[in-house]
Amino acid sequence: MELHVSNAPQIYAKDSTRTLMYDVILALLLPSFAGIWFFGLRAALVLVIAIAAAVLSEYGYQKILHKPVTINDLSAVVTGLLLGLNLPVSAPWWLPVIGSVFAIVLIKQLFGGLGDNFLNPALSARAVLLASWPTLMTNFTRPGPSLDAVSSATVLSGYPSIPLQMFIGNIPGTIGEVSKAAILLGFLYLLLRGVISWRIPVVFVGAYALLALMLGNDVLTGVLSGGLLFGAVFMAPDYTTSPMTAKGQYIFAAACGLIVALIRNFGAYPEGVTYAILLLNIVTPLIDRSVKNKVYGKGKQ
Amino acid sequence: MPQYSIRGGVHPLDDLHSGKKATNGSPIQAFIPETVQIPMSLFLGKPSVPCVKAGDHVDLGQVIGEADGFMSLPTHASVSGEVLSVEPQMLMAAAPVVTVTIKNDFKDTWVRRKPLGQSVDGVDPAAIIPAIQAAGICGAGGATFPTHVKLTIPEGKTCDSIIVNGAECETHVTADHRTMVEQPARVVEGLRLAMRALGVQHGIIGIEDNKKDAIAAMQEAIRGQEGLHVMPLFTKYPQGGEKQLIYAITGYEVPSKGLPIDIGVVVLNVGTTVAIAEAVLEGTPFISRVTTVTGCVQTPKNLRVRIGASIAEAIAACGGYGEQPGKVIMGGCMTGFCVPHDGMPIMKGNNAIVALTQKESKAYEETNCIRCGRCVQVCPVGLNPYKLKYICDRGDLKAAEENDVMECVVCGCCSYICPARRQLTSSFKITKDAIMLEARRAK
Repeated sequence: MELHVSNAPQIYAKDSTRTLMYDVILALLLPSFAGIWFFGLRAALVLVIAIAAAVLSEYGYQKILHKPVTINDLSAVVTGLLLGLNLPVSAPWWLPVIGSVFAIVLIKQLFGGLGDNFLNPALSARAVLLASWPTLMTNFTRPGPSLDAVSSATVLSGYPSIPLQMFIGNIPGTIGEVSKAAILLGFLYLLLRGVISWRIPVVFVGAYALLALMLGNDVLTGVLSGGLLFGAVFMAPDYTTSPMTAKGQYIFAAACGLIVALIRNFGAYPEGVTYAILLLNIVTPLIDRSVKNKVYGKGKQ
Repeated sequence: MPQYSIRGGVHPLDDLHSGKKATNGSPIQAFIPETVQIPMSLFLGKPSVPCVKAGDHVDLGQVIGEADGFMSLPTHASVSGEVLSVEPQMLMAAAPVVTVTIKNDFKDTWVRRKPLGQSVDGVDPAAIIPAIQAAGICGAGGATFPTHVKLTIPEGKTCDSIIVNGAECETHVTADHRTMVEQPARVVEGLRLAMRALGVQHGIIGIEDNKKDAIAAMQEAIRGQEGLHVMPLFTKYPQGGEKQLIYAITGYEVPSKGLPIDIGVVVLNVGTTVAIAEAVLEGTPFISRVTTVTGCVQTPKNLRVRIGASIAEAIAACGGYGEQPGKVIMGGCMTGFCVPHDGMPIMKGNNAIVALTQKESKAYEETNCIRCGRCVQVCPVGLNPYKLKYICDRGDLKAAEENDVMECVVCGCCSYICPARRQLTSSFKITKDAIMLEARRAK
């Protein structure tokens, strides 16, 4: 009788990298559908282009360099989808393509592939697109199925605020960021499936709200506007670029929230979520190095 | 009643019962094999010296290997019959071990030692520890450390409580569970004998709360006896690990590189307490133990197995394999060893035999670490397994030691939970072995 021999443990938990990515995609489908509902089918087109470009560039890069092709782990789909959701519906077709290629090739693969990138790929692609094509990236249209929808400012740069509409998502903004209701449902799903913990999203938003309150901002509008909730739920808790220990995650999230409030109040940009998270991505290795769990049997009893 | 727990940890098989349901209601059945293979190193320490030769007739309980000093135990015949051979055999250890093979004549002609007394209170405390050594008792939980050594308190240390480990957190195993349900009085007697030998006033029996009937049985058994407590614990793997159990029950941590006795505690397995009671009150040596035989077998059972019975015979006693197995594991699925073939004998620390199907035995390839942090969250010791693995895999023993690899309890939680299927635990095990080898060579 042939018996296999292997090292302990002999069993594994159900979750694999692929199932985790799949769960993130399911959670992201909620804001995706909300975006398509408010902005029309063109939103779906932007998302599809972003995903296709991300997957194809990962496949192409790995083929050219004779590396094992890892598109089956679905992480490229997540990156593409995240980037697409961060674009305005009016984005020309090549904008998501450049963004996805940049995210996958420059940020993810050149640093060693999945798990080795030090920046969040989708978020850094967004930052690059925002710096390179600021008008295209902030050409927000009012929701409406028609492509002739009027361009307008977002809440953060002067659009009148209506909290309920903002919560539902009936406001100008990027495809994925507008519907806070959909984002929160996605958050709930990720929590229930155990994909992410509550720590980073809750502390992030909490820290922002606290400082905004002290600075005399309208906290409700601040929380419901821009990419704060989307960033706190889908960008900041990214495994690879956030700290490993619970303590480290509190520090990371609190710093993100505080920096967002500072940029929004004192910075030249109306929105600071992208830069706050990217900044803390860079600090993450430092946090992981200095914040460690106490080891059993060491230190005082 | 307060319930305590450990930090980190997992629920293997995503279930509080972790595969135990197949056997947690089935009574212990005796199982007597046709032949036994008894290696002379059934325990951790210096192997016994064989004192029988091929062709000899031995009685049940007769000494077939004598103890070789204090760090050693005698070995007893677990069946009566004819000695077929005394020769080195390749078993689960890295090197061949002298093994006595006996053919059972099914007469069970006993040679017992004289019991020390009828009841715990009638026993001379000074005679208990020698009797434990003479009976060949070692830890039945898996580590097989000689019990008389554990109960010999080093000078300058004091023991103020003895903990009975009834956590049984490993997957599939129900041997201790059934023992506590069926023989609670024996467990209490064994505990009280150990307490009497050391003059200790406190005895605590820690049981995970997925074994409600065992908790009830033990509470009934200790009723009215001073100094004894039953402590229900929140179910969580690896709470049955010695250091974890001590933390869960006392809130104290065993110091790094130290032993439980450094904080005044001795931990005994449920099976060990029963062996102590039988040795002292009946004169019966440690010749059989309860082993759960489960997984893809026809009828999973809890068997009282004679030491040295082959796995194949034990599985045949459970109706044979239900389907072609992919792996056969000695112990539970989190820490057990895979056997290369099922002719291996069942030994003193062997609480379960689990046969896994071909499908369950599927091997996974390691993929990139995604830094999800699950290994950090589940580590009961507080290590950074993801980082430690890089250090261990590049063979940097010094850096690995600085990053506390020696504190790893090899519970398997990190490998179990890793979504990238990285073999974290085995990297640490290999590194720990390498560091200990270096240390021995340096001496």
